[in-house]
Amino acid sequence: MTRNTRILMSIIYWAFVVYLFVPLVLMVLMGFKDSKFIGFPIKSWTLDWYIGVFRDTEVISVFVYSTTIAVASTAISLTVGTWISVLLAGRSFFGRTVIFGLTVLPAVIPGIISAISFRIFARLLGIETGMFAIIWAHAVHNVPFVALVVMARLATLPASHTEAAMDLGADRFVSFFRITLPYLKPALIGAGVFCMLLSFDDFVRSFFLGGYEPTLPVLIFSKLRSGMSPEINAIATVVLIMTAVLGIWAERSMRRMGKGT
Amino acid sequence: MSTSSRSETAADTSRRPASGRGDSPTFWGRLSNAGPYRAVTDYVFGSTRRQFVLLAAFPIFWILFAHLGPILQMIRVSFLDSYPPSVGHTPHFTLDNWRTFFTEVIFLRPFFRTLVFSVVLTFATLVLVYPVAYFLSRHVKRDNQMLLLLLLLIPFWVGEIVRTYAIMILLGNTGAVNLILKALGLIEQPIAFMYTNFSLSFGIVYLTSLYMLMPLYSALEKIPQSFSEAAADLGAGPWTRFRRVILPLSLEGISSGCTLVFLISTGLYATPILLGGPSTTLFSETIAGFFHVAGDEWPTGAAFSTIMLLTALVLSGTFMKLMGALQKGGRK
Amino acid sequence: MPTTEDPIVHIDGISKSFGKTVALQRLDMKIRPGEFVTFLGPSGCGKSTTLRLLGGFAQPDSGRIVLGGEDVTRLPPNKRRVNMVFQDYALFPHMTVTRNITFGLELKRMTRDRIAARLDELLSFLELDAFRDRFPDQLSGGQRQRVALARALAPDPDLLLLDEPLGALDARLRAQVQLELKDIQRRTGKTFFFVTHDQDEALTMSDRIVVMNQGRVEQDGTPEDLYLRPKSRFVAEFIGETNLLSGPVRHADDGRVAIDWFGMQIEGRAFDSTPRPGDMVTAALRLEKVGFFDARPETGNAVQGRVVNRVFKGSRTAVDVRVGDAGAAILKAYVDREVPDDVWLGWDPANLAVLQD
Repeated sequence: MTRNTRILMSIIYWAFVVYLFVPLVLMVLMGFKDSKFIGFPIKSWTLDWYIGVFRDTEVISVFVYSTTIAVASTAISLTVGTWISVLLAGRSFFGRTVIFGLTVLPAVIPGIISAISFRIFARLLGIETGMFAIIWAHAVHNVPFVALVVMARLATLPASHTEAAMDLGADRFVSFFRITLPYLKPALIGAGVFCMLLSFDDFVRSFFLGGYEPTLPVLIFSKLRSGMSPEINAIATVVLIMTAVLGIWAERSMRRMGKGT
Repeated sequence: MSTSSRSETAADTSRRPASGRGDSPTFWGRLSNAGPYRAVTDYVFGSTRRQFVLLAAFPIFWILFAHLGPILQMIRVSFLDSYPPSVGHTPHFTLDNWRTFFTEVIFLRPFFRTLVFSVVLTFATLVLVYPVAYFLSRHVKRDNQMLLLLLLLIPFWVGEIVRTYAIMILLGNTGAVNLILKALGLIEQPIAFMYTNFSLSFGIVYLTSLYMLMPLYSALEKIPQSFSEAAADLGAGPWTRFRRVILPLSLEGISSGCTLVFLISTGLYATPILLGGPSTTLFSETIAGFFHVAGDEWPTGAAFSTIMLLTALVLSGTFMKLMGALQKGGRK
Repeated sequence: MPTTEDPIVHIDGISKSFGKTVALQRLDMKIRPGEFVTFLGPSGCGKSTTLRLLGGFAQPDSGRIVLGGEDVTRLPPNKRRVNMVFQDYALFPHMTVTRNITFGLELKRMTRDRIAARLDELLSFLELDAFRDRFPDQLSGGQRQRVALARALAPDPDLLLLDEPLGALDARLRAQVQLELKDIQRRTGKTFFFVTHDQDEALTMSDRIVVMNQGRVEQDGTPEDLYLRPKSRFVAEFIGETNLLSGPVRHADDGRVAIDWFGMQIEGRAFDSTPRPGDMVTAALRLEKVGFFDARPETGNAVQGRVVNRVFKGSRTAVDVRVGDAGAAILKAYVDREVPDDVWLGWDPANLAVLQD
């Protein structure tokens, strides 16, 4: 590859970085604007909007609500996804391919259709819209990601490790909890944070399955519909920082898993 | 493995049993020798068959019920004349909901717009992201790759709504782009970017580009550097090397990246509402419309969702098959 | 209470197939307490299958395994008084050396004090004291192997299974560890069941070697038996380097067999077979048992020949000698000095073992 193409390529890369970051940076900046009206230029600056976010009990309670949903749905996804992985990994049986296909199904269904189908199914089961319905939908949607990550990790666990545990007197339960689970830890951390973020960021399922209480994305959406305001920027910025930090941490723990034994 | 991923630290393990618990077995010892526990485990692990049934029962139930159930139910409702069931009326089987789709042009238009939009934007994303993935995987040192990749992943973790909002600020009439254009003296009046095909496309590409990057990057990263060196050694120029070596080997990444982006674009809902206008209505908005009004529109919505789902899955399935065939064909 | 004469392990006619592949065919075997038994053979010979059946990781299609007087054929690994040193050691990466070693003890409902005492005993026995708080990835190959050994010895098993545990070590270290392992076996008095495809390992350490081929026992005996008195062509070729001499029997009398080998009259010993005159037989002759002489040796077998090839191997030279009518045969031998091209070769008839097949 010639020197010129190399330079061209790096320019494209950095242009892409700019493309990804500029809108977010502008959004963050707008949260400091000392005016009710969104728009450039920003003539005077203020911290009021950010202070307002932390004082706004509605925002705080919505935040708690979203977090609860994220944590609960993640716990379910991790349990179910791991269970499915253990079933599918290293075992061949009739219908295995079908089960695998159905396991990843929720991941390939377009968002709106997924939301609609959950809405209809919840109605059939008599589940009221609200927290429980959202947790359930998020949990189902996230199971494929957990299963894929955990299966990949399980595939690298040498059979001799669990055999050694059994050889030393452990039954399959003990062997799972003392050998397999610790081995899966980095995968579970990575997948867990990923699920939390997917749940926390999800709009379309939360919107269609939500009751009166909105999740954070739904709240931002409804505020947006009634007009843009720096207050929304402040909320969005808090969300942005939190998700980015969690995301980086998860990504790192997943990457490390690739190198670890 | 580094120390932080360990469940037990050195200090933990060297804890001597001098704490007065020395005469008792450990937790695991007590557990595995407890009568009830042994009775249960002896029964469960008594036969491989029983063990398998107990292991498989819950996942299979979950998958059939939670993964497949909603889709099947949606398809069932699409054939009913009313849903949710109202008092004193039993839903009957009907094909009317499906017929509606094919007879009313007003629905066909957003449907095809969605398909065209998704296909075109998927292609645009591919063209935009491929050089980035290529650069990252082949021109950056291994150690730095992770760092530069992580940089791109940060926006990825920020949700659909927040990122859509960021685009609104960028492209608005008083947005950054218009401000700059005005400052440069290129325009007098702000250009109305928002609520057009342009703003919607811009937003969708912005949202989906990283889903394209990851599969492309991992496919390109797997191709050994020596391959293109070998090709160069055999006299292939840069373009030939790319076309005959790199491109065929990255087909798998292209295939999964495009599928992913296509499926995501067809399912977006908030973005078309926030960034689009009346002339850019996508099918997801049409579908959602049936669920906002009176309940008896649900079956139509279900039918439309089913049509959308089938179309999306068939299209992406065919695409992946084609790409697979192309990969095989190239190998001959 | 079993006496020392009772077998600790009794493998009673076990067979095992994987699909159409037969891994073991009606294997019968008794192992005495304190024996160091090695199963030797090429991959796929059934040695690892036997090991896994003993460990409880697989069940035989037919037959029984009796361990210390108890039928354990259908028992899972965690209910057998058998422990194993795995080929890759299978040390738990998230546990320290201490935790790895005590893993099996904890599950035996031992008190923490007794666990600690047993741990200290094992650590000092295997010279691992300094590494007790290390994780497996902070250990060298030899240290890992010792930890795996300590972990398997900790629950005081009746039988210790070793699945090619030296394969991961480099050649220099392997020779040293072989001696250590033999020493440990002697000092603990444990019954070792060792599986390997490496004949050197088998010869160095074992009290008894079982050579396996295609799911059957080829030969079962002491290292000396196997080396000097192989029963079959397979054993002769698998262990050490050997000349195979084939020809019709001229005369046979009480184990002494006279063979016509390309017109040369040679004499060998039959140990397990009684060949009759006229039978075609093959006899094995170790390379280093062939002596070089300037003139016809007075006793034993003697053939005259011409050196056609020499390969220098450091301490000795491998030589190919063309012998017999019109140089019809080649005899390979080792020599540690310069020899002329025309030589006499001779050997003790006791070193020419007539094979069964």
